[in-house]
Amino acid sequence: MSTEDYDYLFKIVLIGNAGVGKTCLVRRFTQGLFPPGQGATIGVDFMIKTVEIKGEKVKLQIWDTAGQERFRSITQSYYRSANALILTYDITCEDSFCCLPEWLREIEQYANNQVVTILVGNKIDLADKREVVRQRAEEFADTQSMLYLETSAKESDNVEKLFLDLACELIREAKQNTLDNSENSPMPGEGKSISYLSCCSLN
Amino acid sequence: MASDNLPSEFDVVILGTGLTESIIASACSRVGQKVLHIDRRNYYSSKWAGFNFNSLLSWIEEYKSQQGSQSTEDEAEWRKTLEDGEEVLPLSADDSFITNLEVSCYASLEAEEEVKENEEATETLSPAAPSPTEPEEETKGKGEGESSPDVTQETTTSGETQHTQEDGGCGVQEEGASQDAGQSEEIEQKEQQEDTTAGPPSSAKEVKKKKITYADLVKEGRRFNIDLVSKLIYSRGSLVDLLIQSKVSRYTEFKIVTRILTYRQGRVEQVPCSRADVFASKQLTMVEKRMLMKFLTFCLDFEQHPEEYQEVSDQPFWEFLQTKKLTENLQHFVLHSIAMVTKETCTEDGLKATQHFLRCLGRYGNTPFLFPLYGLGEIPQCFCRMSAVFGGIYCLRHSVQCLVVDKETNGCKAVIDTQGQRISCSHFVVEDSFVRQRWKNTEEGHISRAVLITDRSVLPADSDQQISLLTAPPLEPGGPAVHVVELCSSSMTCMPGTFLVHLTCSSKGTAREDLESLIAQMFYVPPSPGEELAEGDERSGRPTVMWAMYFNMLDISRMDGSNGFDLPSNVHVCTGPDVNLGCDYSVKLAEKIFRQLLPEEEFCPPAPDPEDIIYEGVAPQGEGSGFEENPKTEGSPLQSEADGLENHPESEKEAAEVEAPIQETPKEALKEDASPSEE
Repeated sequence: MSTEDYDYLFKIVLIGNAGVGKTCLVRRFTQGLFPPGQGATIGVDFMIKTVEIKGEKVKLQIWDTAGQERFRSITQSYYRSANALILTYDITCEDSFCCLPEWLREIEQYANNQVVTILVGNKIDLADKREVVRQRAEEFADTQSMLYLETSAKESDNVEKLFLDLACELIREAKQNTLDNSENSPMPGEGKSISYLSCCSLN
Repeated sequence: MASDNLPSEFDVVILGTGLTESIIASACSRVGQKVLHIDRRNYYSSKWAGFNFNSLLSWIEEYKSQQGSQSTEDEAEWRKTLEDGEEVLPLSADDSFITNLEVSCYASLEAEEEVKENEEATETLSPAAPSPTEPEEETKGKGEGESSPDVTQETTTSGETQHTQEDGGCGVQEEGASQDAGQSEEIEQKEQQEDTTAGPPSSAKEVKKKKITYADLVKEGRRFNIDLVSKLIYSRGSLVDLLIQSKVSRYTEFKIVTRILTYRQGRVEQVPCSRADVFASKQLTMVEKRMLMKFLTFCLDFEQHPEEYQEVSDQPFWEFLQTKKLTENLQHFVLHSIAMVTKETCTEDGLKATQHFLRCLGRYGNTPFLFPLYGLGEIPQCFCRMSAVFGGIYCLRHSVQCLVVDKETNGCKAVIDTQGQRISCSHFVVEDSFVRQRWKNTEEGHISRAVLITDRSVLPADSDQQISLLTAPPLEPGGPAVHVVELCSSSMTCMPGTFLVHLTCSSKGTAREDLESLIAQMFYVPPSPGEELAEGDERSGRPTVMWAMYFNMLDISRMDGSNGFDLPSNVHVCTGPDVNLGCDYSVKLAEKIFRQLLPEEEFCPPAPDPEDIIYEGVAPQGEGSGFEENPKTEGSPLQSEADGLENHPESEKEAAEVEAPIQETPKEALKEDASPSEE
């Protein structure tokens, strides 16, 4: 087995209605691009970016929905073994905000109990078209104990921060888990993904 | 739900998301075909689906309420889209493939101390909760004989019992929802303690163990993944090959089946099958060990020694074994647990089966089998994901009501979906249950299934995290041989402290008739929920059944392909799953249908590796997925030997290609990406 050039590997999964900018967030972060009017992404399964946080290399594997959200038909297996979920809506689209409880139900059903979930309101560059006021979203995130962040994939606002914050949170959790392994380790039958286990063993 | 309309033109429309359909979907999308993949149900994997406990209970409810209901569609609108020379061929509105479904609960119905005291109070809770004791008998007589009133002692337990049960389940469910999962953590921790104190389960520990009630099963329902189909994956079978070759393996992880067991003379025994097992075995004498090793070594390359078997190659394998000077013990192991054939199987087939088993040993572990984490139901979904990544469009809760057939060519030109939309296609691929009425043969096969939740393993060992395959020879001559798969909680299919047991055989009668007596011999089935065994009962060492489900599943796998169906030539029927332990039937059928659809194209070429797609500004990373893990410790992604050695192309080279817009047709994108990365 090759020695990997990173300290942590995390799987991050994006969900949310079609057209809220999930793919744009990923491409902005991983490629620094904002492809306008981009259609469905073909042939790209997940994207990878390695970042350095406090001297530790963190490899982020970022998974997109492959268009299966369009008709509400995401496979359950997509949620399995995700370390973090980015639940995205479009601040200029009330509808995409109203669907959030439905997404949370899916998360509850299929995702790992210990998954870190962050709510993201995207497209803040379109401030004049805003339909969901910030406070409402913050309150909602609060009730669900999620982190909340507003971003613009187009202007590259908060995109870097989004992924770096997530990475920090995941590292914090991972360290905590290694520390009190016996008391607080993932439930048997539901544990973290293999990637997680293997990166722990490096420490 | 989806406000979006489906596009109206596709190359291939696929109805049903079982394994065969899903492989075809991914294979077609992969080579650039426009694929629409739909399923009438609100879940993936069709017959291969896995459910958590609560979803399973709802599924059972839904199944019951569906019985006899027929949907009537308003056809007026789409009729107008028909042209001259077109006729309509309706699909079956009833796609059920399950019969004789029966569910029984044996776990204690006392929810928790508090709830027990408050029994009166919980009485008022919603009666909408699934009633687990109610038997379900399909009335559409499938030649299994009228579902007799053998509704058995436990299923006829008075209304009172059933009532309490509902209340119990319900009460705790609500409590669970509002409370912190304090109690579950408790169970968990106990479980972990047990994990770490590796040692044979002592009776003292048993006492400490909290008794799991029905309410616990409901509360922890999310931790179950109960498959309708029970199969294992041969580590050198066609499914593993396909998963690796197509790179679909990246979507899931596997556990190694840790033990092969058999049931013999009323006892569960471990079958030594690898060299290490044979030598470590305490049950075999030195002489037996040598005999067995000699025989197995011969089987590995039996073709090289024609003189040993050729004269008797079409004689029964059983008789051949007897001539090989194997003790009765060993004959049993080889026939039932290694070859897994019947006494009637001919020698050549028996040898081939033994050889296949032996060749699969040691690739990933000490047994020939793998099992996917979260259950078999994950596998079709992984292929669906691959299809979606390559542009396949996915829509659940959506079906086809009829086909539009060109009278002249007798080809299917389009389908009419359940919304009345006309969707044109060059090929239509369909799960067999939707076209049952077009089946020419009237004789249907069935598979008998039972699923049990138990409290301990059929063969307790140092570690209770074992996945075991047990083969039980027919209890009486002419009866079915049963394969039993016992799953532990680390396979992510059941809650800690429980085991999930799948029993499968070819139907002779109803599932209950076929499997009940074996279950009664191997397990303790309480006469009433929660009833414990008296001290010193002979059954006291056995696992207690907490919950059981029986059903029969339609099996017309003998009719592979479309030959047996009265359908247009570009309609392809996915039959199966078959009753065999492996998944090979369904994988081979998928490839066969794909070759009919697209004879020129490659079947599931490797998808480009995202690790190779590295964008500007990012330093190239070391190759390898980073998932490599010692297979013995945890579920591990598949990795072929070839994969391990292979050097992924250097990333700088790739970067330029990836910069190019991804808008090009998938076909081109694939050809570019795929060819260099796999060698």
